[in-house]
Amino acid sequence: MKLLGVLRNWVLAGLVLVPAAYAQDVVRIGAVLPVTGKESKIGSAYKQATELAVKEVNDAGGLLVGGKKLKIDLSLLDDTSDAAKSAQLVEQLITQSKVHAVIGGYGSQLVQAQSVVPERYGIPYISGGAGATSIYGRSKWVFGTLSPVEHLAATQMDFLQDLVATGKLKAPLSIALLSEQTEHGNDYAKGVKEYVAAHPAAWKLPLEQKFELYTADFRPLLGRVQAAKADLFMADAHLEDFVNMQRTYTQMGLRNQMITYGARGADVSGRKSLGAAADYIFASGWWSDLLPYPQVKAFNARYKAATGAEPQWYHAMAYETVRALLVAIQHAGSLDPEKIRSALASLKLTESIVPGGVLSFTKTGQVDLPFVVTQNKPDGKVDLVWPKNDKTGEPVAPIPWH
Amino acid sequence: MSAWLKKTGVAPWMVVLAAALLLAPLVADRGTLNDLWSVAFAVVLASAWNLLGGFAGQISLGYSAFVGIGAYTTVLLANAGWNPWLTLPVGAVLAVLFSVVVGLPTFRLRGPYFSIATIGVSEAVRVIASGMEFTGGSSGLRMPSANFHFLSNYYGMAGLALLTVGLVAWVRVSAFGMALEAIRQDIDAAEALGIHSTRYKLLAHALSAALVGAGGGLFAMNFQYISPGSVFDFPLSLRIVLMPIVGGIGTLVGPVLGAVLFGYLQIKLLASPTLRDWNLFIYGGLLMAVMLFEPRGIVGIWERLRRLWRRRAPPTLEASGGA
Amino acid sequence: MERLASVLLSSLLLAGLYATMSYGLAVIYGVMRIINLAHAGLMMLAAYVTLTLNTRFGLDPFLSLLVVAPLFFGLGVVLDLTLIRRLPRGGTGPSMQSLLLLFGLWLVLQNLAYVVWGGDTQSILTPYTMSSVPLLGERYGVPLLLVFAVSLLSLVGLTIVLRRTFLGKAIRAVTQNRDAALLSGVNAGRISAVAFGLGTAFAAIAGTMLSTLYAFTPDFGRSLLLKAFCIIVLGGMESFTGVAIGALVLALIENLAAAYTTIPTSFQDAISFSLLVLVLVFAPNGLPALFRGFSRRAVAR
Repeated sequence: MKLLGVLRNWVLAGLVLVPAAYAQDVVRIGAVLPVTGKESKIGSAYKQATELAVKEVNDAGGLLVGGKKLKIDLSLLDDTSDAAKSAQLVEQLITQSKVHAVIGGYGSQLVQAQSVVPERYGIPYISGGAGATSIYGRSKWVFGTLSPVEHLAATQMDFLQDLVATGKLKAPLSIALLSEQTEHGNDYAKGVKEYVAAHPAAWKLPLEQKFELYTADFRPLLGRVQAAKADLFMADAHLEDFVNMQRTYTQMGLRNQMITYGARGADVSGRKSLGAAADYIFASGWWSDLLPYPQVKAFNARYKAATGAEPQWYHAMAYETVRALLVAIQHAGSLDPEKIRSALASLKLTESIVPGGVLSFTKTGQVDLPFVVTQNKPDGKVDLVWPKNDKTGEPVAPIPWH
Repeated sequence: MSAWLKKTGVAPWMVVLAAALLLAPLVADRGTLNDLWSVAFAVVLASAWNLLGGFAGQISLGYSAFVGIGAYTTVLLANAGWNPWLTLPVGAVLAVLFSVVVGLPTFRLRGPYFSIATIGVSEAVRVIASGMEFTGGSSGLRMPSANFHFLSNYYGMAGLALLTVGLVAWVRVSAFGMALEAIRQDIDAAEALGIHSTRYKLLAHALSAALVGAGGGLFAMNFQYISPGSVFDFPLSLRIVLMPIVGGIGTLVGPVLGAVLFGYLQIKLLASPTLRDWNLFIYGGLLMAVMLFEPRGIVGIWERLRRLWRRRAPPTLEASGGA
Repeated sequence: MERLASVLLSSLLLAGLYATMSYGLAVIYGVMRIINLAHAGLMMLAAYVTLTLNTRFGLDPFLSLLVVAPLFFGLGVVLDLTLIRRLPRGGTGPSMQSLLLLFGLWLVLQNLAYVVWGGDTQSILTPYTMSSVPLLGERYGVPLLLVFAVSLLSLVGLTIVLRRTFLGKAIRAVTQNRDAALLSGVNAGRISAVAFGLGTAFAAIAGTMLSTLYAFTPDFGRSLLLKAFCIIVLGGMESFTGVAIGALVLALIENLAAAYTTIPTSFQDAISFSLLVLVLVFAPNGLPALFRGFSRRAVAR
C-alpha cells in the first residue's frame, strides 16, 4: 500500500514537472556580454540597461504573447571579453538553456565570433553592440541595431557639406584623415573615402594614414598632417589615443577649420582629460540624450530614476535592442524561432528613442538609421547639431582659433 | 606494456582521462563537451610547447604565431574551396617553415635573450597581420559556413591531443629526447660531446610548431571566425607558457596537468562573480608561487611529497619507478 | 634643412622619454642580471599613485616625484628582500625563474590596479598640459620638455652617483665582475637591494612622467616595455649612457621614417620589434660595443 502511495506521488510529480521543464509560459532570453575584461566599461553598462529593459516589462506583468502574459527569464552570462568563450557561451545558451532568442554582446570582435552560432541552430540573434558591416548579411538569423560605421562617416560628411551650403565653410575643402588599425577605424575611413570619391569637385583627400592602438608618440603622424596643410582634420580613435592625439595636436599648435574624432569628443572623460582643448570638436554617434523627442525625454527620466545616472548612447542602444526583440516576439504571437525571426525582419518600431524615431532592419539584418552629430561648446556644454530638424544649437564653423 | 608506460612517464590517471575524453560525447552535455574541447586544445599547446621549452630548455614566448599561422592557413584555403581537414597538414608545414626561419637566427641566443627575441617576433607578426589586406586586416576572416560539425571537431581535437602526448612520450625515451635533455642541462658540455645543439633545437621547435599549427587550424574550424586579436595574441602566448610551468616543466605529466588545471580554473572563475575580478591575481600568484617555492611545478610538489612519505614508510626491496 | 633640424629635435625629446622608461630596467639588469618584466606594472602603479596624489591633494605630478620616487625605492627594497632574495642564485647568466617570477608580479599588480582604481581610462590634466613653446620654427609641448629635463637630470645624477660615491663604485664593480667585487669586500646582498630599489624608483619616475603625457589603464605599459627592451639591448644593457644612446637611435629611426618615408606609421611598432630581434642576433652587446670593435663577453654567455 505504501509503495502504491509513493508511486502515485512520483507519477503526480512527473505529470507536473515534466511539462514544466518545457513550459511555454516563460520567455527565455539569453545574453552574453563582456561584463569583465577589456570591454568591461561598456559591457557592464549594456548589462545594466538590458536588465532594466527586461525588468520594466516583467514589472508590468510580463510580455503579451499570443493572448497570454508571459514572464521573461533573462540568462545573462559574462564572457570576460574573450571571443572564443563568447561564442561557446552563446552555443551553451541555445543548446542547454534552450533560449528562444539571444541578445548579442558588445564589441566587433566578440559579436563577430558570436554571430556564426545562430545559423547553426536557427535561433534569432540581435546585437546592439557592433556596427561593423561585415557581420551582417551572412545569416538571416542575425540582426543588429547599430548602424554601419561607414554611414557614421557619411553623416559627418553630409553635415560638413551642409556647412558649406549655409556658407560657414568654403568649398573645395581638403581633409587629413587618420584612422586606427581596427575594423571600426577601417569602416570609418572607407565611409569618408567613398564620399570624397563621389563628390570630387567639392572634396579632396590629400592625406590618409592608419595608426596602431596605443601609439606612444603622435608627433610623427601629426607632423605629416601638418605638412599636408589640409582644411579639415578627421580621425577615428579609442579614448586613450584620442586624448593623446588631441593633446599633441594642441601642443604642436595645429589649426584646422574643423576637427572630429569619429564617435569621440563629447564623452565626459574625454573632456575632463582635455579641458578647453576639446571645445568645438564635433562627434557622431548612434544616439544622444539631447534628441528632442518626447520618448527620449521620458527614457532619460526613467533611466535616471532607476539607476541614478544619465544614460549614455550605449545604455540607450542596449535598452532599445531588448525592446525591439520583445516587441517582435509580441508581434510574432508565439515563441517559435522562425516566427520571431520574421517578426524582427518586418519590424517597424515607432516611438523609438533612436534618431529618426523609427527602428527597422534592412535586408542584411542591420539597421540603417540616421546618426546624430554633436559639437562641444565652451564650458563643458554640448549641442546636438544634426539632423537639422532636431538640433539644439547652431554649429560653430570654422573653429574660432585665436 | 606497463613497463613501457612507466618508462615514458605516462601516469595511469592520464589513460583514464584519455578514455573519458573519447567516451564523453556519449554521456556529457554540449556545455561540458565545449569545455573538454578547450582542455584538449590546451593540452596540445602545453605539451607541444614543452618539447622546446621543457625538454630543450628554450623558453619561447611567441607560440601564438604558430596558432595564428595554422588558423589563417585553414581559413584562407577553406575559403578557396579546400576541405578543411586537408588544410591542417598545410598549416602544420607552414608553421614548421616559420619555426625554422625564426629559429635559425634566434637559437644563437641563450636563456632570456632568446625569450625576449621571441616576443619581438610574435608581436611583429601580429602587427603585420593586422595591416595586410589579404588576411582580412583587423577585421579577421570567416570560414565558409557549410562545414561545421561539432562532433568531428571534437574528435579531431581529442585525437590531436592524444597524438601530441603520444609523440612527446616517445620523444622522451628516444635518443632525440636524451640529446635535448643534455642541451637543457649544459649546452657547452653537450656540444663538446658532439651534439649539434642548433640542429636539435630546430627539430624540437619544428615538431612542436607542427602540432601547434594543426591545433590552430582545428581552432579555426571550431570557432569559424578568427582575427589577429584572437590568434596572434600575446596573452595567448603567455597562457601557453603558464600551463606547463605551473604543471611541471620538462615532464610528460606536467603540461597535461597544467592544461587541465587552467581549464578547470577558467570554468570556475567565470562562474563565480567574486573570483572573476581576481583572475589575473590568481594566474600571477600561481606563477610567482611556483617560481619561488617549486620551480618544477605541481609535479615537483608531488615528488617532494612522495619522497617525504617514502622516508616515513619502511624501506622495501622494490625498485621505485620513475615519474 | 630646417625640417631636418626640427625632426632631430623631436627625436631628441622623444629619446628623453624613452630613456626615462629604460633606466630602471638597465639598473636592475646591470647589477643583478635580472630582466624585470614587472617594470611595466611598476610604471603603471606609479602613474596611478600620481593620479591619486593629484586628485586627492592637488599635488602637481612633477612635484609628486619627491614623494613617489622614495616610496617606490622602499617598495623595491622590500620586493628584493621578500622575493628576489629567495631565488636560487645559479649560473652566470640571467635566470628564467626571475623572468617568470617578475612576470607573475606584473599580473598581480595589474589586478591590484583594477580592484583599487577600476578599469576606466584615467588621465591627469594640469594647467600647463596643453601649453607649448616655440623652438626652431615648431611648437613643442611643455610636458615633453619637462620630461626631457627630468631625464637629463636623472642621467647626470646617476653618473655622479656611480662615479663619485662608494655605493656607486660598488654597483659598478658588481656589474663588471661580481665575484671579484665580492672578494673585495662588497656586500652583495646590500648592493642587490639598493639596485632593485633604484630600478623600481626609476620605473616609478618613468610612470609619473608618463602620466603627464598619456591617458592610462591598468593594462598600460605593455608596448612601452617592449620598446624599453629594444633600447637597453641597443645600448648594451650595461651602461646608462648606453641607454641614452639606444633611446636616441630608436627615436631617430621612428621619426626619420615618419618624416621622410611613406611607411605607414602603424608599422612603426613592427619596426622596433624587428630591430630588437636584429640587434639581439647581430649585435648582442649593443651598438656601443659594436663601435668599440670588441666585446667583453662572447655571444654564448
